[in-house]
Formats: sequence, structure tokens, C-alpha cells
Amino acid sequence: MNKVILSILGHDRPGIVAAVSKILFEQNCNIENVSQTTLQFEFAGIFIVSIPGDLSPQSLHQSLNAQMAPMGLEVHVTSLKPSAVPVSVPECESYIITTKGPDRKGLVAGISEVIARFGGNITNLQAVFKGGDDPGDNIMIYEIDVPYQIDRQALYQELRRRAKQLKLEIDIQHRNIFEAIHRI
Amino acid sequence: MLTQREILSTLEMLKNENLDVRTVTLGVNLLDCASHDIEILKDQIHTRISHLARNLVSVCDQIGQKYGIPVVNKRIAVSPIAVVGASMSSSQMVDVARVLDAVAAEVDVDFIGGFTALVEKGIARGDRALIEALPHALANTERVCASVNVASTKAGINMDAILLMGKAIKKAADLTAKADGIACAKLCVFANIPQDIPFMAGAYLGIGEPDAVINVGVSGPGVVKNAIDRAFESDSNLDLGQISELIKKTAYKVTRVGELIGQEVANHLNIQFGVVDLSLAPTPNVGDSVGEIFQSLGLLSIGVPGTTAALALINDAVKKGGAFASSRVGGLSGAFIPVSEDLNISEAARSGHIGLEKLEAITAVCSVGLDMIALPGDTTEETIAAIMADEMAIGVINNKTTATRLIPVPGKKAGDNAYFGGLLGQSTIIPVNNGHNPNPFVRHGGLIPAPIRSLTN
Repeated sequence: MNKVILSILGHDRPGIVAAVSKILFEQNCNIENVSQTTLQFEFAGIFIVSIPGDLSPQSLHQSLNAQMAPMGLEVHVTSLKPSAVPVSVPECESYIITTKGPDRKGLVAGISEVIARFGGNITNLQAVFKGGDDPGDNIMIYEIDVPYQIDRQALYQELRRRAKQLKLEIDIQHRNIFEAIHRI
Repeated sequence: MLTQREILSTLEMLKNENLDVRTVTLGVNLLDCASHDIEILKDQIHTRISHLARNLVSVCDQIGQKYGIPVVNKRIAVSPIAVVGASMSSSQMVDVARVLDAVAAEVDVDFIGGFTALVEKGIARGDRALIEALPHALANTERVCASVNVASTKAGINMDAILLMGKAIKKAADLTAKADGIACAKLCVFANIPQDIPFMAGAYLGIGEPDAVINVGVSGPGVVKNAIDRAFESDSNLDLGQISELIKKTAYKVTRVGELIGQEVANHLNIQFGVVDLSLAPTPNVGDSVGEIFQSLGLLSIGVPGTTAALALINDAVKKGGAFASSRVGGLSGAFIPVSEDLNISEAARSGHIGLEKLEAITAVCSVGLDMIALPGDTTEETIAAIMADEMAIGVINNKTTATRLIPVPGKKAGDNAYFGGLLGQSTIIPVNNGHNPNPFVRHGGLIPAPIRSLTN
């Protein structure tokens, strides 16, 4: 069995996952992992799928595209090569960064640049983002993995400095506090 | 993956509802510091505390920053000094208090508790010396807190000790007359004192406790109030059973914060973790009031009819939520009603909605007792002792902790304002019925026997 990663993008509507999974089933493929979300009215789904040895990624793409295109959905299929999987990941702990402030261009770019510079990996990014000047309406939530060896104080300091430049309120908290409060 | 709601509701609790860790209290066992030589005793106490507590504040700040939860106060509780310094005279006890004060300042904690005697069944030599030393010890130190346990359900009520405490309170108030008798704000008289309270002024390290222990006090009256307000906004027909459920869930969240922070501080300091004390402990800040919860529940003010029932509901739900959240809940755990420390309760006292009698009544269902109550300066030592005896009786008969922190404010009368400052707040002085007449009842002394535990009506 080979593995492919396929992505589906397009205007959200009922039946997208049903249609994709039906084709995969008919092609004797197995869905190993999937993540889907909707942003405003747009659907995005990523599937890691194992496919039979006699099925090429190109022909799977053709089958999917034939049914997805009329639904207004865009399909990408790429072979998943073993080398693409990171061999070693440094030990990390998870932090939640929340920024709050008036909408303007470059907010995500500004914050994510600092995170990347310190070797942090953004594992999830959510925006409670309605536009406008009410700070309460523009909140970004970054979940990041920070390697243990990174200097926390330097990271905090740099994030706070950048947030100030961007006129953002920023909170940086270890993920465990949210789990402790909300989950049994 | 965390949900937006989980993240944003946590931030709301922290930023707008005053959720914090009210205190991380390091318990330090001083029993093996005992010596007949005052200099050796002082030296050993100083060395022991400064060694164990040297990193307390920095570690608490570091952990607080990691989780974005402020640890507002860092404190120390020590073994009862009446036991540690059992062979000392009262003037030497004052010297010990000065050492405690100095070492507290050195390690930068705001209070150190444990200037304590346990006299529920009788007064030993060291206990008497400590009680005699109390006025000067408290008047001459800033950070030392004292407590005396004068009663227990197993031993009864030591009326001799209560009368001594009445005298000590009057003298302590007189020695700090210029500051409205503030020495008395650092002195609690208890029935059934727990061994692991992290909150001041009652914190001390019990005889059955280890060499060192970290106890945590979490608060959160603002979080509870806002949860109730939000619930009624979305459904005005909620009944009190549903409100109890809501308070329980809120208490669960608050306790979990305390446990997380406490465990991590204890790990960093390589000290055993003790308990989380989940108490609704107000401060004189807007939005951090226990009194406001009563108004959210539909009462005009704390003190009006319905107050005792409402407090019973709150206290019970807080305990249930806390007990589910942590298997190490201890201390006082419940709702505090410290009059001067809560803007709303202080206002209720000023406007006459609550008086001494109702405050005493609600201590049957709250977690502590008559707390931070300013009394007229001419209230006699006998009357103060009698008020304490009443409060101790409630604790002894109901098998619960009760305490008093009474401040007879020198030179002031009922209706005047007493100002203590900072977390201790300010309050209107409450009138005392028959407060300056003789009270021969308490002069009889002796021990009121321990109560029968059956025939419970």
C-alpha cells in the first residue's frame, strides 16, 4: 500500500465528506487520518489515505476531480513519501498565545515571525476575527510547541515587544492551565 | 486541540473576574529548633526559615508567569511558637516574634503565621507566655500573624483562655491605637483550628505536619458572581438547585487552578504538596466581593432575611466542587465573611443591613466566623470574651471551625469609620448590645465541657 495526502477546498455544502469517502471506498482506499474545518463559508479538508498498489495518485485524482469539480471543489493529491515525515522532533511543551487588538494587516505575520525565530511550531491557529476597531472583536489564538531548550524569558520578552508594536494585548500561558480548568 | 470557548472563558476569569491564586503558603516545621537558650532558638528559627523560603517568591512568580495566573501573596506558616518556645518568658516570646518578622522581610513574604498557642483544654507555661506576649508581639511587628485555639468539639471551650484573649485583644488595640487597633487584625481566636490553613491570619503548621509543606489558597468570589449573573441573563427562571450546580462547577475550575500551581511550586522547591484551600476570600477591590454574590442571588444586601440560606447554598456548593476537583482539599474551604475586607459587606454594615447578631448567625453555615469586625473602643474585655465564647460555642456544637478577628477601635464609637488599609480594608464600627457593662458570666472561667455527640436536635 502507498500513501497519499489529498486536500479538498471549496465553498462549504452538505455532502462533501460523504462524496469523498464514497469514492475512496469504491477505489479500495483506506482513510488513515483526516482533518476538516470551515472558515466563514469555505470548506478545507485534508485526508491521509493508503491506496492499493495498482492505483496511481494521478488516477485517484482523476476519479475525485470528476465528482468534486461539478460541486465547485478543488482537489489535490500528492504522494506521501516516508522522507517527508520528520525523523526527530525536539521535546516540546505547548503554550497558548492569545492576542487581542484592532484589526490591521500584518498581525499574524508579526507574531508568527517571532515564534518561528525562536523555533516554536504553530500547531493550531484560530481567529475570532470579525474585523473593525473593537479590540474584543479581533482575537487570535495560537497553539505553539516550544522546545524545552528555548529561553522562555527571551521568547516572552520578544513576543511582548512585538505585540506592543502591533498595538496588541498578548497573553502567553502554558496549555496545562486550560486543560486543568476545563477537562476532567 | 483546545476550543475557543475554553481559552476565552479562562482569559475572562483571569482578566475580568479576579481569578488568581490568593496565596501560596510554605509551612515550616520548627519543632526541632526548640532550645532553652533564646539566642540559639532565634538563630535556629532564622536559619531554618531563610533556608527553606529563600526561593519561595521567585518560584511562585515564575510559575505564575508560566500559566498566566498571578500568585498574589506568598506566605509562611510555622509550628506553634508556644510549643517551639515553650520554655521562654513572655518578653522572650516577643523577641521570637521579632525574628519571625525579620526573616519574613528577608525572604519577601507579606505575612508569617504561627505565633500560635493551642489551649482548648488547658494552658501550659509556653501558651501563657505567648498569650501574654501577644499585644507587644503584634504591635511591634508588621508581618507576624497570631492565632489561639481556645475550643474544640473534643475538648470543649476553655473560658479561662477566652478571658485572657479578651484582655490581650484590648491591650493589642490600645498599643496600636493610632492605627485603629490594627494589631488585632493579625490575631485570630479559633475553635477547631485546622492544621493546614494557608490563609492569614489563621495560618500555622500543625503538630502532625511534615518538615515542610506547600499549601495553596485559591479564591474567586468574582468568578462565582459572574457565573451566576451570566446564568440568570441567559435564563431568568433558573432555580436554586441549578444555581448550586453552577457554583459547584465554578468551584471545580478554581480549585484545579490552585492544585496545578501548588503542585508545580512544590515540585520546584522539592517540598511536599499539602492542600488546596478553596475559600471565597474577598479583597477590598471592586468585583472581588463575597457580598455581591448575595445580590446576584436576588437579595437586597447581605444581612437581609434569606442570607443564611443563601450562604449555606454557596458554602456547600463550593465544598462539593472543590472536593471533586482535588483529593487534597483542606484548610478552611468555604466562604469568608470578613467585614472590613469586602467593600460590599462593609457597606452593608454601614447601611445597617447587617449587624453583629446576623453576622454571628451566618457563621453557623460559613467557613470561618466573626471576621474583621470593628467594634466600639469602649467594648470591655469581658464583652469581647463573651462574643468569642458565643462564636466558639457555634463551632464546638456544630463540629466545625469558627473563629473571631475582632478589633475594638480605640477612641471610636459605633458608626465611626475604622481604616486598616491594604487588604485589611476599612469598615463602619458595628454597635455591640450591652458592650460596656460587666459580664460576670465569662468571669466564672473554667472549661465548658465537650458536647454530647448524640441526641443531635
